[in-house]
Amino acid sequence: MFKNLHTKPITALFLFILIFACSKDEDPVPANEEEVITLVTLEVSKVGSSEIIKYNFEVEGHDHDDHEEEKDDDHDGEHTEIELEANSSYNVSMFIYNDTDPNNIENITLEVIEEKDEHQIFYAITDELSGFSIKSASDDTLDSNGNPLFNKTTWTTTGETSGDVVGYLIHEPTSKTGNTRTDFGGATDFEIEFEVHVE
Amino acid sequence: MNLFSFLVGLINLKSQKYKYNKSYSVSKTAASLSILAAGFCYCQKCDLQFEGQILDLHDDSPISLAVVRVLDNDQTAFTDYNGFFKLKNQCSGKINLKISHLNCEDLYQELNLNKSVFKKFYLEHHIESLNEVIVEESKIKELSSTAHNYLLSGLQKDRYSGSGLAKALEQISGVNILTTGNVISKPMIHGMFGSRVGIIYDGVQIENQQWGQDHAPNIDQNAFEEILLVKGAGVLKYSGDTPGGVIVLENKLPKINDSLYGKSILSGISNGRGLNIVSSWTKSYSNGNYFKAQAMIKRIGDFSAPKYILSNSGTNENNISLSFGKNKILRQWKTNFSYFSQEIGILRSSHIGNVNDLVYAIDLAKPTIIKPFDHQIDLPKQVNKHYTTGIQYSKRYKSNGKLNARYSWQRNNRKEYDVRRGELKNKPAIDITLNTHDLLSNYQWKKSNWSLDSGVFFQIQDNYSNPDTGTRRLIPDYLKTELGTYFTAGLTPSNNFSLGFGFRFGHQNNHTKKYYKNKRWNEGNYQDKLGAFVINEVLNQKLVEQRLIFNNLSINTGVKFALSNRLNLSLNLFHTERAPDIAEMFSDGLHHSLATIEYGNPFLRSETTQKFLVNFEKEIGNFTYNISPYLTNGQNYIIIEPTGIEYTIRGSFPVWEYRAVNSTIRGMDLDFSFSLNNSIKLRNSSSWIEGFERTSKAPLINIPPFTSTNFIQFSIPKFKSFFMIVSNKITLNQNQFPNHNFETSVVENGVRLNKLVDISTPPRSYHLFGAELHWGPYPFFSDKVSLSLIFDNIFNSSYRNYLNRLRYYADEQGRNMMLQIKISH
Repeated sequence: MFKNLHTKPITALFLFILIFACSKDEDPVPANEEEVITLVTLEVSKVGSSEIIKYNFEVEGHDHDDHEEEKDDDHDGEHTEIELEANSSYNVSMFIYNDTDPNNIENITLEVIEEKDEHQIFYAITDELSGFSIKSASDDTLDSNGNPLFNKTTWTTTGETSGDVVGYLIHEPTSKTGNTRTDFGGATDFEIEFEVHVE
Repeated sequence: MNLFSFLVGLINLKSQKYKYNKSYSVSKTAASLSILAAGFCYCQKCDLQFEGQILDLHDDSPISLAVVRVLDNDQTAFTDYNGFFKLKNQCSGKINLKISHLNCEDLYQELNLNKSVFKKFYLEHHIESLNEVIVEESKIKELSSTAHNYLLSGLQKDRYSGSGLAKALEQISGVNILTTGNVISKPMIHGMFGSRVGIIYDGVQIENQQWGQDHAPNIDQNAFEEILLVKGAGVLKYSGDTPGGVIVLENKLPKINDSLYGKSILSGISNGRGLNIVSSWTKSYSNGNYFKAQAMIKRIGDFSAPKYILSNSGTNENNISLSFGKNKILRQWKTNFSYFSQEIGILRSSHIGNVNDLVYAIDLAKPTIIKPFDHQIDLPKQVNKHYTTGIQYSKRYKSNGKLNARYSWQRNNRKEYDVRRGELKNKPAIDITLNTHDLLSNYQWKKSNWSLDSGVFFQIQDNYSNPDTGTRRLIPDYLKTELGTYFTAGLTPSNNFSLGFGFRFGHQNNHTKKYYKNKRWNEGNYQDKLGAFVINEVLNQKLVEQRLIFNNLSINTGVKFALSNRLNLSLNLFHTERAPDIAEMFSDGLHHSLATIEYGNPFLRSETTQKFLVNFEKEIGNFTYNISPYLTNGQNYIIIEPTGIEYTIRGSFPVWEYRAVNSTIRGMDLDFSFSLNNSIKLRNSSSWIEGFERTSKAPLINIPPFTSTNFIQFSIPKFKSFFMIVSNKITLNQNQFPNHNFETSVVENGVRLNKLVDISTPPRSYHLFGAELHWGPYPFFSDKVSLSLIFDNIFNSSYRNYLNRLRYYADEQGRNMMLQIKISH
């Protein structure tokens, strides 16, 4: 009885499998990471000078082979040093990119400027960097409440000093002003760290 | 949505119409109304002709020589060779019929005549042992002959009709819930969840990306009359790869008669200012046809913790299910359709950028974002849809065998929306569609002291990740096929001894195509093992095509003794083999609530577990207890744990990877009840569990702490329609947990600090008190109405739950009051 009853469904099942041959024929399309930030650039120029020095920050994010060895670096990741002269002023512009696809580099700075109410750039300066300050520049972006976004800043140095600075892009901050990262709330979109040397 | 409200409207219309005419069919209602109208002229026509045909219920063959008797005037007619009969000169009005035949049970029927009619009647033509069949069909199906079956009571089912399946099951000792916020909850049985717990509805396992910790089952339990549970892989008929347990949702077959009945539950909740309406209706006919419709609608706004609003924690749900079938006792078929749609807000504060944000959230001890109460669901959120359609057929043979065949198609779509920038704002970050086809056929034999069940099953499952999300795929596209067979046997040599045995074998083929980032590829040294499978390279990614084959054999064996009238002992051993699920092998992505990056392990092999489960049940007078210890040993038991930290431009992220270990999970469930007197009853359910890795003795993550729930039920003998339950639940703090804490460097107020990220320490123990007041049922026209007033967390205590993935961000929900109105139509 078992045999009679089950031969048919089993045969049918096997036929079914043969017919459908069970394979995924088409290759999936590679998904583009559209919102990731892979590169942050600081363009530093001394007031009165036309020379611009670019500092790139691109820890992981994408797969340029020259970054492979950096993964064993200390926990601060890539260590960039920015050399500044004492008693000077610098204009610093921040640019944010997604360069996952080298043929189609996306300038996210524009998006951030457009959504200025929902974004905030903040530089946290460690206490070792005495006499060093970062202020919003005259050409900085202002949000609808007049709060500066800090994508264009003026850095002022006094005496010789050195120390760390952390730059954040904060998405949907709960406050647009503050003195330390936690004052802003929100979610961190990127966190770049560099050492400033004033000589 | 529009379609849905239209359907709900239809159902409501129906309910209005039938509210006062419980047991009449449409034609009868119309007939009685006309009789009423005719009654006004004080005249009665007695020239009506009443004709009909008597048919066999099972095969629609005509029954000759049946006697049709009008009891009111003693007129009699016999059916001819074709089953036809004719009664002349009948008066208008209500008549009572008795239809009898030598081999059939008498059929009594009431009928309203207002014009000459022709009507068909179905008689049950007895064949041998049919009585047995009917009895068997109507009783609750035992899932396992030797393992303990847990059945949710009607009261529990109704009480949790608006809270999801997992919360209803949490009432059973040994069942916990793993939650993400307040709404998303998954059942956890003896420390296992997700792919290790099977949810079977209408005879097939639900396929809704159940591997995800924050993926709640996409099912409306209100569409089912019975919810059963076996703690362990004790139901090989349905699944062999769920060592945690099996949850079975089933519907009883409607009775074969002309009737319309239903049930509606209306619940209003104070916390979240929500409303939940469930309504189900069954229309059955005397020829065995039946139609069922059920719908649910739920709207809940932001929940509140005792001290603050849990912003963006609301939910909306719209479900509908329809089924149509024919029950001929010996033959049955059924076709069904269901649609489940859910939108769940995710606590806004839990969407963070990196580990430093997490540290801040933990330090703050309250959510970073608290907004005024709102019913609106914003980002982040989940939108899940599940469609099911299927057809099933069963036929009984005179040899007492029963053949079943079933086909089902499930389509599940999951969209997860993150807080994003620019044009991506309204684009889901995850958009996966899973199509599953199941084909099953089985044959059951049943004799008085043994039963056998064997079958074959075939599943084909296709997963598609929409590439248009602007993120990398969390899980790859794959096609899974599984072909298998099972056999189970139950033997009851005597009344006080039963034996059970079963096996299930499945051959599974996973065909996957996944993009690996070059960086990950190099870090994981995948080139040696997977290099041969690379079929394409684009943009720093390698497309890898693999066919992974798993052959899994699961075996059960168990015995059950009735040592005396009031003492039962059962011993069960479950051996299960489970193929790693697609997420365990291939997941690749960032979890925003924990700021972790999760990587699958493509080299995992099948996980095997052996579970030994003892159940000891004793009744001494008015004292009943049930002790159930268990031991589970796992080999290649797949767990996820942190393996390092990845530094990206977004900050640092702990990396969690899947790994196979040898594990032990053991514990004990204890239930007792004691009736003090007629009006006071005490009940307690407690469960203790521990789990660890066998070699390192390191505790497993997410193992529930000890819990104990006490219930006191009061009733007043004078007022039969009222009773009250006071409950108290104690949850101790879990002191066995793996320490996955780590340090991170932050700059705070100009000072660089190393801060501990405490993601491991479980929250403190807590006590919760609740009360339930139940009134009813009271007759209300032809319906019955019951009323319940239920309080949860009555003292509004603030606490956090170890098994809530969002416990770092906010307290659990505070006091809630629910008013529930139940109407049985």
